[in-house]
Amino acid sequence: MTLFWLSVGFGFVTASVLAIAAVGLSLQFGITNYINFAYGDFMALGAFFAYVLNAEVFHINIWVALVLGSLLMGVLAVFINRFLLSPFVRRFQRTFYVLIVTFGLSLILLNLEYSIWGADVRFYQTTISRAIHIGPILLTKDQLIVMGIAVVLMLGVHAMLKTTRLGKSMRAMADSTTLAMTSGIDTKRITTITWFISGTLAGISGTVLGITEGNLTPASGELFLFVIFAAVIVGGVGSIYGAMAGALLIGLATEISAAFINPAYKLDTAFVILIITLLVRPNGLFARPGIA
Amino acid sequence: MQSIAEEAALRCEGITKAFQGVHAVNGAAFEVPRDKITALIGPNGAGKTTVVNILSGSMTCDSGREFLGEAEVTNWPSHRIARMGLMRTFQLSRELGGLTVLENLLVAPARQPGESLLNVFFRPRLVKRQEREDVERALSVLDTYGLYQLRDNRASELSGGQKKLLEISRAVMASPKILLLDEPMAGVNPALVERICGYIMDLKRDGVTVLMIEHNLNVVETICDHVIVLAEGRTLATGRLSELRENVEVVRAYLGEVIDASSAS
Amino acid sequence: MSYYVFTLVFFLFDYFILAMGLNIQYGETGILNFAYIGFVAIGSYVTGALSLPNSVGTGQHYILGLSLPFPVNLLLGGLASMLFAVVVALIALRRLRTDYLAMVLISLSLVLYDICNNYVPLFNGADGLYNVPEPFAGVLHLTTNSFIPFFAVLTGVIALAMWFVMSRITRSPLGRTFRAVRDDSVVAAALGKDVFRLQLRSMLIGSFYAGIGGGLIIQFSGSFNPTAWLPGETFVVFAVLIVGGVGNNVGMLVGALLVETLLIHLPAFLPAIPGHPGLIEYLDAVVIGVVLIAMLWFRPQGAVPERLRKAVSFGVRDDAVGDRPLVVGAATPVVAPSAVATAGLRIEEQE
Repeated sequence: MTLFWLSVGFGFVTASVLAIAAVGLSLQFGITNYINFAYGDFMALGAFFAYVLNAEVFHINIWVALVLGSLLMGVLAVFINRFLLSPFVRRFQRTFYVLIVTFGLSLILLNLEYSIWGADVRFYQTTISRAIHIGPILLTKDQLIVMGIAVVLMLGVHAMLKTTRLGKSMRAMADSTTLAMTSGIDTKRITTITWFISGTLAGISGTVLGITEGNLTPASGELFLFVIFAAVIVGGVGSIYGAMAGALLIGLATEISAAFINPAYKLDTAFVILIITLLVRPNGLFARPGIA
Repeated sequence: MQSIAEEAALRCEGITKAFQGVHAVNGAAFEVPRDKITALIGPNGAGKTTVVNILSGSMTCDSGREFLGEAEVTNWPSHRIARMGLMRTFQLSRELGGLTVLENLLVAPARQPGESLLNVFFRPRLVKRQEREDVERALSVLDTYGLYQLRDNRASELSGGQKKLLEISRAVMASPKILLLDEPMAGVNPALVERICGYIMDLKRDGVTVLMIEHNLNVVETICDHVIVLAEGRTLATGRLSELRENVEVVRAYLGEVIDASSAS
Repeated sequence: MSYYVFTLVFFLFDYFILAMGLNIQYGETGILNFAYIGFVAIGSYVTGALSLPNSVGTGQHYILGLSLPFPVNLLLGGLASMLFAVVVALIALRRLRTDYLAMVLISLSLVLYDICNNYVPLFNGADGLYNVPEPFAGVLHLTTNSFIPFFAVLTGVIALAMWFVMSRITRSPLGRTFRAVRDDSVVAAALGKDVFRLQLRSMLIGSFYAGIGGGLIIQFSGSFNPTAWLPGETFVVFAVLIVGGVGNNVGMLVGALLVETLLIHLPAFLPAIPGHPGLIEYLDAVVIGVVLIAMLWFRPQGAVPERLRKAVSFGVRDDAVGDRPLVVGAATPVVAPSAVATAGLRIEEQE
C-alpha cells in the first residue's frame, strides 16, 4: 500500500508539471485556434536556457534560472509567432499550413538543440534534499516546490482570466476573434501577450520536468508532448480548467499505473486514457461546444 | 392515404436548439408545400439559418421531429438527408476551391459508379460512360447559369456573384427534390437577382420544391407562393405575404426593420 | 560506386511509393496524418517478421516468424498496415477535426514508437529486426553486389505499377470526390457524400502504400530498428509532397529526388566535424525543415503544381453546348430561357 501512496505523491508532481504545460498550450490554442506542434520543443528549449544559466555559464540557483530561462523562452515565442507563424496564418486561411509549419519548426528546434548541446543527458545543479513525509506521501523539497509553483501558476491564470481586463479580452477572443475585434479589443496585442505567456509556461514546465525527472535531453519535451495532448483532450479542448483537470487525472493515472505495470510504459497509460475518452466522451470533460 | 400533391414535401414540428443555454430555435414547426416556392422570413436572429442547418442535417436539434414526405428523418446526418433528395446552398458561398467549375458540378450527382474502387478498376467502361453523361449534363447546366465560359477555371478564382451561381447550379446538378436556399440574393447586384429569380422559377416548373431564406421582400412578393415567418426561434405565422403584412404580430416582429420594397437590396 | 548509386535509386523509388500513400491521404483527401511513419514501420516490421523463421534460437525476439517468401510477406505487411488504419480510423476519424486528429495521430506515433522500442517480445525492441532473409535468395543466388541493383530495379517496377494504380484512382470520380472532401467536407456531406467512409477508404489505400514502402525497406537492407523511424520521419514524407507538389504524381518523383538529395547526398559529401558526432545529420534536418517552410511560403503549390482537369479531357465535344455569349449583369427576362428543360434537369428518383 505504501507503493500506492508513493505513486499518488509522484502523481501530484507529474500532474503539476503537466498542468503548467497543458495550460500554456490551451491558452495559446484558445487564442490562435491551432495547436503548436513545436510546444514540446519550446519546453525543452526553455529547459536548456535554464540549464545554461544554472549549470554552465553563471551557476545561478536553479529556481532563479528557471524564471529567467522561461522568460527568455517567452520572448522567443513572441518572435517566432511574429516572424513565422502569424504571417502563415494571415496568408493561408486554412490551418493546414500553419500546422505543418509548427511541425517543421519542431524539427528545426530539436535539431538545433542537438547541434548545440548534443544528445547527451544533462543535469541541473540543484541541492539534493531529504525526502519529507506528508502523511503516507513521500516527496523531496524540490518536488514540493514544483507543486507549489504549479498551484501558484494555476491560481494566477485563474485570477488573470476572471478579473483582469487582459484575461477577459483573452476569453472574448477565444470565443470569437472577429467579434472581439469589432468590440475594440486589440487582438494583435493580446495574441502577442498570449504567446509570451505560453512560451514562458512551456519553459517553466520544461524546466520542472527536467528537475523532477532528474535529467534533460533535447527530446525530453517532444517525448512528453503526447501526454500533454492527452491531458488537453481528456480535459476538453479549448477549456483551461479542463486542461487543469485533465492534467490532474492523467498525472495521477500514469504514476499510479506505474505501481502495477512496467514503469517504462507509464506514459503510455496516458494514451490509453485518451483513447477511452475519445470512444466514450469525445468532447472531453469540459469541452466547449461546437469545437471537436 | 394522402395524395402526393397534398402531402408536404418537408415538415418539421417542435424543433428546439440551444447554444450554451441560449435558445436559437424554440419550437419551430411548419410545412413546406410540394412543388411550390416557399419563403422563410423573419428578423435577424430569428433562427432561420439554424433551422435550415438542422433540416439539412448539418446540425442536430435538441428536440423535435422532421419529415421528408412520409419518412421521418429527424437528426439524420447531412449526407443521408441529401441522399433523400434534399439539397441546400450556403449563405456564404462555399465553392470547392481546388476543383474547376466543371468539377464542382461533377461531384454533385449521387451514387456515381466511379466512386467505387471496384468499378474504377473492373468496370472502367461503365465509369467512363456515366462520367460522359454527367459531363454533358453539367456543361448544359453551366451554360444555363451562364458559367460555361468559366468551366475550366479554378473555382476559387470566381467573383462573388459567379460563386453564388456556382453554388446554386451545383445543388441543381444533384437533381434535388427539395432545395433549401440560404439567402440566395445576399450581396448580389439587382440584375443578377432577377436572373436568379428566373432560375428559381424554372426549378419550380421542373418539379423542385424550394424553401428559401430571404430578406428581400420584393423577391418574396414576386416569386414565392407561400411564406413562413420565424421570430425568436418560433413560427410566428404562415400564409401569403399580402396577408402577413396585415398581421400585427408579424409587423411588430419586424419593427425597426425596413419592409419598404424600394430600399430592399 | 554503382553500389551507392543503386542504393540511391532504391530510396528514390521507395520514397516515391511512400509519398503516393501520404498523398492520397493528405494531398487528395485532406487528412493530416502525422502518424504516417508508424504505418510505414508496421509494414516494415510485419514484412520482416513474417519472412524470418520462428524466433526461438535466433537470438532475436519477435512475433510471427513464419518464414514466408517474398512477395507474400510484403503483401501481408501492406495488409497489416491497412488493419492498423482501420483501427485508427474507427477511433479517431469519426469525431475529430484536423488539428485534434493530428494531435491524436502524433501521440499514436510516439506511443507506437515507445512500445516497439521498449517491448522486446514484439519486434526485438531497440535492437530491431535483423538478418531478414534476402528475397529470392534460394532461387536467384545473388551476391550482395548484384542483389542491390536487382532489388533497386525491382522496386522501380513495383513503384511503376503502384503509380499506375494510383493514377487511375486520382483521375477517377472517386479521386474527385476525395478532393471535394479535402476542399470542404461540409459541402461534400451536403451533396450526399459519406465523408467518414471516404476518409476511411483514403486511409486504407494510403496505409497500404505505406506498408509496402516500409516492407521494401526491410527487404532491401535486411534490418529495421526504431532509429529508422523516429516520429519526425513523417515530416520527411510531407516534405517530399510539399517540395515536389501535392496531388501530383510527377511532382512526387521530383520531390523524392530533391529531398533525397538533401538528406542523403549532401551529408555524405560533407566531412564529419571532429568532436561533434552527428552534427551534420542534425544540421541537415534543420535545413530540411527550413527548406520545407520556405517552400510552403514561396511556392506552396510545390515544384510541379497540381494540374487542373480541363473539360476536353473528358472526351465530350464542346460544341454540343455551343458558344453562347456570357451576359452577366445585363437585363434579362425574369424567366430564363427554357434551356433549363433541355439541360436534362430531370429529377431522378432516389431511394
